[in-house]
Amino acid sequence: MENILELQQVSKTFPKSDFNLENVTFSLPYGAILGFVGENGAGKTTTIGCIMNTITKSSGTVKLFGKEMTDADTEVREKIGIVYDGSNFPGFWTAKQLAEVMAGLYTRWDNSLFQKYLEDFHLPSKQKIKHYSKGMAMKLAIAAALAHHPQLLILDEATSGLDPIGRDEMLDVFLGFVQEETHSILLSSNITSDIEKVADYITFIHNGKLLMTVSKNDLVYNYAVLRCKESQFLALDPGDILAYRTRDFQTDVLVANKKDTQRKYKGIVADHASVDEIMLLLVKGKRI
Amino acid sequence: MKGLFKNNYYTALLSVKTFLIIMLLSGAFVVIFDTKPPALLISNYMLLGMIGFPFLSIASLQKECDGNWGIYKLTTPVKRADIVKSHFLSLPLWLFAGIAISGISAALFTALHGYPFSKNTDIFMLFVAGVVISLSMGAIFFPLFYFGSEERTDVYLIISLLCGIGIVAFLTSLLPSSLDTMQTIVYGILILAFTLLTYTLSCLLAIHIYYKKECP
Repeated sequence: MENILELQQVSKTFPKSDFNLENVTFSLPYGAILGFVGENGAGKTTTIGCIMNTITKSSGTVKLFGKEMTDADTEVREKIGIVYDGSNFPGFWTAKQLAEVMAGLYTRWDNSLFQKYLEDFHLPSKQKIKHYSKGMAMKLAIAAALAHHPQLLILDEATSGLDPIGRDEMLDVFLGFVQEETHSILLSSNITSDIEKVADYITFIHNGKLLMTVSKNDLVYNYAVLRCKESQFLALDPGDILAYRTRDFQTDVLVANKKDTQRKYKGIVADHASVDEIMLLLVKGKRI
Repeated sequence: MKGLFKNNYYTALLSVKTFLIIMLLSGAFVVIFDTKPPALLISNYMLLGMIGFPFLSIASLQKECDGNWGIYKLTTPVKRADIVKSHFLSLPLWLFAGIAISGISAALFTALHGYPFSKNTDIFMLFVAGVVISLSMGAIFFPLFYFGSEERTDVYLIISLLCGIGIVAFLTSLLPSSLDTMQTIVYGILILAFTLLTYTLSCLLAIHIYYKKECP
């Protein structure tokens, strides 16, 4: 399968900080949504910075549309729409002024599409952006990211300021966007329920290190959390354990081969592994 | 570049609009009431016009640092060098606006009260001073802006303005009083040419700095 985005061993060191990004490797195929999950400060925004060249990676390669993007590759950036968490645009502008600026920056800026999104999202075009609510500002950023017909959307906590209804509305927009086989989304988020709803692949990152990438199908059908008593836990084959966490009298064990383990260990309850729980077990739990 | 110019225009617009209103009102006052030579008010008014617009345009850059717009711009299909060039080219455009207002005021003043200065070359040298202060201010400010941290923009701005004024004061002190009209004009043109050269070199330096800058 061809990839719209590929990261190979991407590292970034910050001399004045304890945080480093270490050997991050993952890929995003065409037509897919990749959920990028990690706690605050895990390295999601740094990774996006390395992808977009806003920060210089220390080593590794990032390929967008099959090639490494340099500052001069403006045609590659024409094909990317981005939404950052927080305020994306100067607050003293109006949506109308933003559209004028964007029309001068993107050759494929589609003002009628932008106006349509403004109407659909109920965003007043003559009101200053600083008077928008957080949710409205986020919707505006999403509208701006979509209005130049990108192929790749990079969303850094783009749903964080939205209420559940707004989030659902935006997730529908994202799903509509990837209906085109040449479109993909990198969706970085702390809201794991959003990721579970729309992502085809999920990449977990913690403390600058990639924990794992898993397809949602794999997650639904193969991953499970075993609820073990102490004696049951001790009887487990260490090769089956991805991570475990002991709480009170129970040990939760993450496994990647649900059917096999259910067959192998009779009497142990195997629950569906949610993204939240996987994250907790990988970050807070122990690994063998 | 078109989008970058619009970005710079809309970023500066609010401050410049307020300044324009103040300039128009004070301009009317100066032209009507400053009737006696040596017409200090009109000289200062003209300098203020030529320095004020560029000053406010670069001061508004700080507003871009609030939020993610500075980083967002880097993800759009523009080169870093073009972002820097757009700033360096926007400043002279605001300077032209200042020159136009100063020129109109001087023309109105002359029509109403006669030529306000003692020497024919004084008005030329006043324009030279305005241009040199503004361009020197930009030439010092932009590399500092791209090199340093955003929180220090105010400091860089004040340093740049003071340096611009200092440079003109220094160059004026070098100007011999015995120069005739032609020599004064040549001196003014040489200063302008040197300032333009410095401004261009500063642009190249700022581009070099911005290519190394990280925006996490």
